Amino acid sequence: MDDFEFNITGTHIWYYYCCPREVWLMLHQVNPDEDDANMDLGRFIHEMTYGRDKSKEISLGNIRLDIVRQDKEGLVIGEVKKSSKYLKSARMQLAFYLAELKRRGIEATGELLFPKEKKKESVTLTADIEKELMKAIAAIHCIAAESRPPQARKIGLCKNCAYKEFCWA
Amino acid sequence: MKKTLYIFSNGQLRRKDNTIFFMNEEGEQKYIPVEDTAELMVFGEVDINKRFLEFCSQQEIIVHYFNNYGYYSGTFYPREHYNSGYMILRQAEAYLNMESRVSLAQKFVTGAAQNIRQVLKYYQNRDKEVGRQLQEIEELSTKIKETCDISVLMGIEGNIREYYYKAFDVIHGQSEFVFEGRSKRPPQNAMNTLISFGNSIVYSTVLSEIYKTHLDPRIGYLHATNFRRFSLNLDIAEIFKPILVDRVIFTLIGKKMISKRDFKKDSGGLMLKENGRRVFVEELENRLKTTITHRGIGNPVSYRRLMRLELYKLEKHLMGESVYEPFVTQW
Ligand code: SF4
Repeated sequence: MDDFEFNITGTHIWYYYCCPREVWLMLHQVNPDEDDANMDLGRFIHEMTYGRDKSKEISLGNIRLDIVRQDKEGLVIGEVKKSSKYLKSARMQLAFYLAELKRRGIEATGELLFPKEKKKESVTLTADIEKELMKAIAAIHCIAAESRPPQARKIGLCKNCAYKEFCWA
Repeated sequence: MKKTLYIFSNGQLRRKDNTIFFMNEEGEQKYIPVEDTAELMVFGEVDINKRFLEFCSQQEIIVHYFNNYGYYSGTFYPREHYNSGYMILRQAEAYLNMESRVSLAQKFVTGAAQNIRQVLKYYQNRDKEVGRQLQEIEELSTKIKETCDISVLMGIEGNIREYYYKAFDVIHGQSEFVFEGRSKRPPQNAMNTLISFGNSIVYSTVLSEIYKTHLDPRIGYLHATNFRRFSLNLDIAEIFKPILVDRVIFTLIGKKMISKRDFKKDSGGLMLKENGRRVFVEELENRLKTTITHRGIGNPVSYRRLMRLELYKLEKHLMGESVYEPFVTQW
């Protein structure tokens, strides 16, 4: 898989922090089972909660932003999540979007939204976070180059993961 | 889980707006809930058109056809919706490398033999005299690993089945269903008709499950690949036939749910009448829905789902993750 090209997306970043195996599977188009009830939950929560704001969803190259808002302090982008359980993943995913915007000359801050828990968290792009992002991106390229996926490790996410049966059959 | 719809009567299948309907010869219409349907099993003489097929393709509904005898005759397989170049290459690679092809073929035959053994053991525990057949099958099973030739492997499997079928009469003990040797195309007696009918459904059920994976149904390992026919489903079906089809047959005749009256003679063969087919299919569907606990996944899975898991295990084998081991029933 050496001549294998792809664009890293926020989703890859998200999975990298909770399950690198899922990153590999996605990159090799070993897609999860669409019949799986968990597949649609994220989309469902999104539509149910922020249905009104849907027109505000914007795409920028290979990134898709859930919510964009102009505040007194500047541009704020929001990302909606099912739960705050994988906070690190969510934070880095949003940081990735902020970095992508910065690359295009747009300064913004981020806001993580957990509608189910009625919680919010803000994310700003610091030098440390940027450095960490670079490392994650490099690591994802390494994972992609592997001829087989990283071993399955049972984590909390498996229970609701669309790859569950694939990994644990 | 989406459903399987069986069509036994003659008529027409059509698209109407965003639904499908079936109109039988008497002109009665039945609407088919598309969001809820994964596959159609067509046994009757059914007339279709392009508009209907395009709609099935769009909705990812698979259509399996069976001939007069209830034999599998073909499938409308909507364009592949899961596609992984990586997986296709791995699948072909394992086929082209004789050593890896044979080792997979051996696994399928071993899985079939072990499940046959479990079926016989089950009846032995119920005081059926199948000890001799069991012993013969165990001896033959040891030969599976010794061969590195696919056709020899097929031969061993054939011999295992021969002994296995000899046990059928002992298991059900009913004279109207004596086995009298395997006859196909068309089957010559009631038992053969039942076996062929059940096997056909299992072949198409596995094929529908393959559709939900990244595997190409045309590349099988035990059953030769010629790219014009589906063969991977035949491989996987070997493992499930004894525990699904044969167990269902014993139930059907043991409980007298099917009798001689459910068959009719037809140009040189014996076929199951519509009512018999309905009863059979209902029992088989019940069995497919039956769940067993699965240690790895941690919740109950149905036999139909087990077919899918078998395919996932095969995918992982092809990816070089873990060596494929066939499913063997506990009872
Ligand atoms: S089931 Fe678990 S190990 Fe497999 S991809 Fe999902 S989270 Fe990762």
